[in-house]
Amino acid sequence: MQDATDHRRPTTAPPQLQPALSATNLTKRYGDVIAVDDLTVALEPGSITGFLGPNGAGKTTTLRLVLDLAEPTSGTALVFGRPYRQLEHPSRRVGAVLESGDFDPGRSGRNHLRALALAAQVGFDRVEEVLALVELTAAADRRVRTYSLGMRQRLGLAAALLGDPELLILDEPGNGLDPAGVHWLRSFLRQFADAGRTVLICSHVLAEVAQTVDSVLILSHGRLVAERRIDELPDPARTLEALYLELTTREGS
Amino acid sequence: MTAQLRSELLKQRSTRTNLVLLAWMVGIALLVVALHVLSFSVGTLARPDNQMKILGLGTSIGALFAALLGALSITGEFRTGTIRPTFLITPRRTRVIAAKVLASMIAGVGFGLVAQTLTAGAEAAGLAARGIHIELSSADYAQLLAGGALSAALFAAIGVGVGAIVRNQVAAVAGLCVWLLFLEPLLLGDVPTAGKYAPEASAGAVAGAIQSQIADSLIAPALGVVLLAAYAALADLAGSLLIARRDVG
Repeated sequence: MQDATDHRRPTTAPPQLQPALSATNLTKRYGDVIAVDDLTVALEPGSITGFLGPNGAGKTTTLRLVLDLAEPTSGTALVFGRPYRQLEHPSRRVGAVLESGDFDPGRSGRNHLRALALAAQVGFDRVEEVLALVELTAAADRRVRTYSLGMRQRLGLAAALLGDPELLILDEPGNGLDPAGVHWLRSFLRQFADAGRTVLICSHVLAEVAQTVDSVLILSHGRLVAERRIDELPDPARTLEALYLELTTREGS
Repeated sequence: MTAQLRSELLKQRSTRTNLVLLAWMVGIALLVVALHVLSFSVGTLARPDNQMKILGLGTSIGALFAALLGALSITGEFRTGTIRPTFLITPRRTRVIAAKVLASMIAGVGFGLVAQTLTAGAEAAGLAARGIHIELSSADYAQLLAGGALSAALFAAIGVGVGAIVRNQVAAVAGLCVWLLFLEPLLLGDVPTAGKYAPEASAGAVAGAIQSQIADSLIAPALGVVLLAAYAALADLAGSLLIARRDVG
């Protein structure tokens, strides 16, 4: 595992804290519609950030811009200081789960991971590791069409973890997970961040977010309307909801 | 690039899509050959050029299914959404397309060989059953197999290009079927001077099998290879450029 802050190697790089993910004046238009509007954010390494906003606020579009699945209209999005496509081994730096349905229903979970592992130049032993980590080993040879939503979420997470990344981007990771799965995910993400790595989660489940993240970014109509540390909020679960509703409904009216 | 190729080969093997395609191809090839061998008169079937025409059906069927295989290898990823993890791991998208072209060409060789072997075998069995002597030489069969495999491989590459351009699975499959089953036969029948340079007619020329109305105006096999390779290069280049530029939904 890499020390993301480079504290132990002051001679090779200046001891600056490079953001794991940054967007600068990021804008994406689809015709007359502005999906992402002049967004500027940076994620500090070792933190879990919640990315909140109503449906259509531009969260998923932002993730697609960061991951080079879509081209920004203007502005830049960088991961570890570089455009995503210029990363040497992207899967070793960034793991992402964008939708819980990104599988071929006719392929087994194991083969899904193996096909990705081959392209990522990751050994098949790592496939078994991540299968065990998300507790899918027993179901690994079944076709994904037989999986429950929660199992698909876990398979997506396993795929994102194949390259042992430093930044994890998850879109609605709790969807379909049972309470034990949600609890497991929360402690997994905490350990992940405590090891100096970075997590960005999109979610609508504010109570869960309040328990999981260190800070939140709230997006409305493509614009960043709030950036808060969770420990600044008294009684986070309640205040976060109040803040969210105030900011996102006022913007809409 | 080898990493991406190995990944694509595993993708080809790990769903039933290609097996289902293969089963359909086998069924259609057998049906079409049986219809021809059983319905024509003994006098017609005894002529070597007619025996050759029936083998040409195998070339067309192999080409069609190889093209579908190539197209499905990319449109299937857009349909299921696996294109997202694929591009996340290999953000240089042209590499993904190149690997899909190679993997589909390898599978296409198999499809071409199966289609031609089956057509030739079914025809030989049918003719023997009706007591008709086979007028074709071993050189004819050699060209048929080698040419059928090569043109199916190139058609698989064309299919990947078409799939990358169109992205929608139904549109790509329908487009390829309409072109290969209806438009090109019409073109061959009505404007053979131009039609003989079209992809399916080129495949017929490469495999040596004579397509229906253009028996006398078939192009030379070598020119057929060059033309097919050019069509494949054009489709794949256009597909790569579009895939690299367009957003993934």
